[in-house]
This record gives sequence, C-alpha cells and structure tokens, in this order.
Amino acid sequence: MSIVVAYKWSANPQDAAVGADGVVDWSRAKAGVSEYDTVPIELGRSLAQAAEREYIGISVGGKAVATPMAKKGAMSRGMDRGIVVADDATGDWNLSQVAGALAVLARQAEAEIVLTGDASVDENAKMTSAVLAGHLGWPCFQEVSAITPTDGGWTLTQAIPGGTRTVEVTGGVVVAITSDAVQPKVAGMKEILAAGKKTVDVVDVADLGVADVDLQVTARTKPVAAARKHEVFEGSDAATQLIAALRADSAL
Amino acid sequence: MTTWILTADTSIAGLIEIAKARGGDIALIALSPQAAAIAGADSVTALWSEGTPAEAFAPAAVAAVTPQPGDLILAPNRPAERAIAGAVAAALNAPVVTGVREASADSIDIGRFGGISLETVTSAGPIVAVVEGGGAAEIGTAAPDAAEAETYPARVSAENSAGTVASDLSSAKRIVAAGRGVGSEGDLQLIREFAAALGAEVACSRPLAEGLDWMPKETYIGVSGKTVKPDLYVAVGISGQLQHMVGAQDSRRIVAINTDAKAPIFAYADYGVVGDLYEVLPALTAALA
Repeated sequence: MSIVVAYKWSANPQDAAVGADGVVDWSRAKAGVSEYDTVPIELGRSLAQAAEREYIGISVGGKAVATPMAKKGAMSRGMDRGIVVADDATGDWNLSQVAGALAVLARQAEAEIVLTGDASVDENAKMTSAVLAGHLGWPCFQEVSAITPTDGGWTLTQAIPGGTRTVEVTGGVVVAITSDAVQPKVAGMKEILAAGKKTVDVVDVADLGVADVDLQVTARTKPVAAARKHEVFEGSDAATQLIAALRADSAL
Repeated sequence: MTTWILTADTSIAGLIEIAKARGGDIALIALSPQAAAIAGADSVTALWSEGTPAEAFAPAAVAAVTPQPGDLILAPNRPAERAIAGAVAAALNAPVVTGVREASADSIDIGRFGGISLETVTSAGPIVAVVEGGGAAEIGTAAPDAAEAETYPARVSAENSAGTVASDLSSAKRIVAAGRGVGSEGDLQLIREFAAALGAEVACSRPLAEGLDWMPKETYIGVSGKTVKPDLYVAVGISGQLQHMVGAQDSRRIVAINTDAKAPIFAYADYGVVGDLYEVLPALTAALA
C-alpha cells in the first residue's frame, strides 16, 4: 500500500515557438517537473511520513521522463521510488489516454490515494486527476489544500467559493492540490545524490493495455493576435490623455 | 443529437448557448436543487443529497449519461463538475477537450498550450468538453426531486466561510485587474477606488490570489483561473505573461498601466500608460470623477 503522486515532465508554453501551421516547437523550451506538481510532491512526502507508507511517483511521457536528469529531478523531491511510462509515442496521446495509463501505474504502485497538481504547466486542463479517478473507480476532489489520514480514509480541506469545507472520504481518492497548499523545498546536493540511487521502473507501452481514445485533429493553425492600437501615454498628463482616448473610442 | 450538461450550479448560460447553437435535445444532469431548476432542458436527472459533496455522485452521473456518437457532454470549468466530467469520460473511454473556442455540430475548435496553437478536433464517439460557465442560466418553475443515486462514500463534515463571495466576473463589462506591481494588500484600496470610479469589477493575476492571498481565488484571471471577455480590461501592475493573458486577451479593449515600458502587457494593449500606478491611478480616479 502506498501514497502515490502523479507528476508531469513538461515545459512552459511561454518558452515554445509556434509555426504558422500551428505546430508547436518545444525544442528550445526546457522541460522539468511541472511547476504546479512540485506542491503535491511536497505535500505527499509529509502525508507518507504521517501515514507511514511508501511514497511512489508515477509519470507518463516521452523518453525524457526516464533520463537520469528527469529521474533525479523528480526523485530528489522526496519519493521513495518511481514507476513511469517513457515512450515518445505518448506525444500523440490525448489526456484521456494519459489518465488511463496513469491509472495502470497507480494500480501497480498499490495506491491508496493519488495526488496530482492543480493543473499541468503546459495544458492547464485540470482534468487528468478527474479522468484518472474515473479509471480507478474513486472519487476525485480538486482544489484541496490539506489531507489528513483517518481510519479507513482521508480528511480533505477543499477550497469552495468564499471559503473552505472539510470532506471525509472513505477508501481511495484522487486529490488535485492547490498550487499554494505548501511551499515546495528546493532539493539540495544530498537529495540529488540520493535520488540517483532510487529505483525508477519503466513500464512498456505495450504492457499497459490502455484503450485508444479517438480524437482527431482535422485542422491546426497559429492564432491570429487581435489587432491592438498600441497607443501609449507617458508623463504628467498621461492619465488625462488615456481617459480622453478611451472616451473618443467609446470605451467609456 | 443530444447535448448533455453536467452542473452543480446555475451559472451555465454559456453551456446552454452552445447546446442551443448545436441544435437537438438538452439532457441536464443537475447536481444541486438550484441546478435542477434550470429552464430549457428536455430531460433533467437530479442527483444531490444534503451533506454529500457533488463529486460523490460520479457513479450516478456515469449511469445517467448514455450518449450516442455525435453527442457532446458539457461541463462548466469548476472543480466538482470537472471531477464528474472526468468520471464520465473514463467510463465512456471518451476524449476530453478544454480551452474550447467554438463547438459546432460536428467539430470543436480548441486552444492548446495556453492558446498558442488552435486545433479543430472531432471524434467518432461522444466528446467531453469543459467550457467556461458564463452567467446565470434562466430558471424554470418546477425542479424534479432528487433521484435514487449510487454515490462514493464521502460527506461534508464542515464548511468555513471567509465571509467574502467574489462578484461574477464572467458577465462584467469592465474589469480592473491588479498584479504584482501592487506593493501591499492595503494598496489594493487604490485599485478599488479606481474600479468604483470606472464602474468596474476588481480582479487580479495569480500571485495575488495564490501565495499572497490578498484576493479571493475566484477573482484571478488566467489560464488556470477565470477567462473573461469584458468590453474594457485594465491591467494594473501586471507584466502580461502568456498564462495571464490567455484569460483576458479576448477583451474588446485592453489598457495597461505599468512602470516597465518593455513589459509584454503593452504588446496586448490598445492603450497604455507607462508610469507608477501610485501616481497614475489617483490621477485616473480624479479624471473620472
């Protein structure tokens, strides 16, 4: 039985280039553990200590996920070991297929609970946790800031509009953690060296048994940026000029 | 052709609009008594129970959604509805799309990776789409009783209100958004005064809502927060990173106020003031008086 955290090895779209045909070129964007995933990794480490359970990281991505750099980058954050799918064929997978594969890895890890980030830094869909939970036959709770183990389940603190609520769950659950739940620690040299000795098992795509999910892209383009006026004012009467310009434009 | 709508809340005018534009029937899976009273649905399945979180109704929602190829399953971009939509997608082995720009009868236009690429997608089977809810939907008269439902074992044991419920930004005509350029929580008063003079709602960028906690989470604009399309969007002390602009770039007019003339926000702006917000905002407020 274990505490499992799902993480994504990905880059920030801000650093990617897009061709006129809409194809995204990630070659210059530096990949890493998705920024929002560092928070659930940190929270999961404390939870695994509190619950006295093994702490396992799972990830689905391209070959880069199983490189020594990626292994150390992830495992240095506190997991005991990892189970990953590292195959460039996953580059064509849609979110539902990735979530299905993560569910297989979570079962292999004998997960009692799976933590995820709020969203991934590249897609920002906030849906992988939900589809993963569906595959596991567990409930999914998002925007959770704290988890306490209970007898047979978990107590979750979940953000709701205007406040928080406490949810008691019996059995397994997938929990998406808010990006400000805890402050992730930066791994030091000691943790990075220790991470090099941790096991990261790579599962073959053919052994996953994940069904195809049909989603065809019939067209792809680079968005045309809206034409903007770019009128910029400076100096002591900038405020007056701005209001005058907005009134002339019927924006006020 | 049926459009299935999963919702725990009445703020789904955007979803009803998509469903009507596609044509065909609307099947509503309502996860609260309020949602069950939404008008315009051809069928309503009411799934709720006092003290049980909406998320726990996933098995019942899965049983209630029985789509045909060509059907669309819509959920507003909110935590409970995303959880239910994910369960439905897993059960149907259906694809999930987010960042929806337009949904027609046979294809969906989506923005990928924070909108840097646009794709038109289609599937042989049903598609699950998560879209911005929009304003309040029209309410009918009679809501059906809650159906007998299979739920996951979960219950709400306490609720703590922070006492502030954020205004609805999705239908606001004017928005003033504050960013990291604002030096302290107390200085937000300058933003509020300017917004009041402008008749605008107040929003923010992510750091002010998460991390600093100066503003409610429901008010941050960006790829993982709210997407808004007001007539006028004034970004104050916001640098204009891609992740923020995705949520505001469809505004009709964008105004930037920033000390840094090289800030990316100016590339998105119709009008800009290069200057210190502590000088510019009081001057603007006075000019509007």
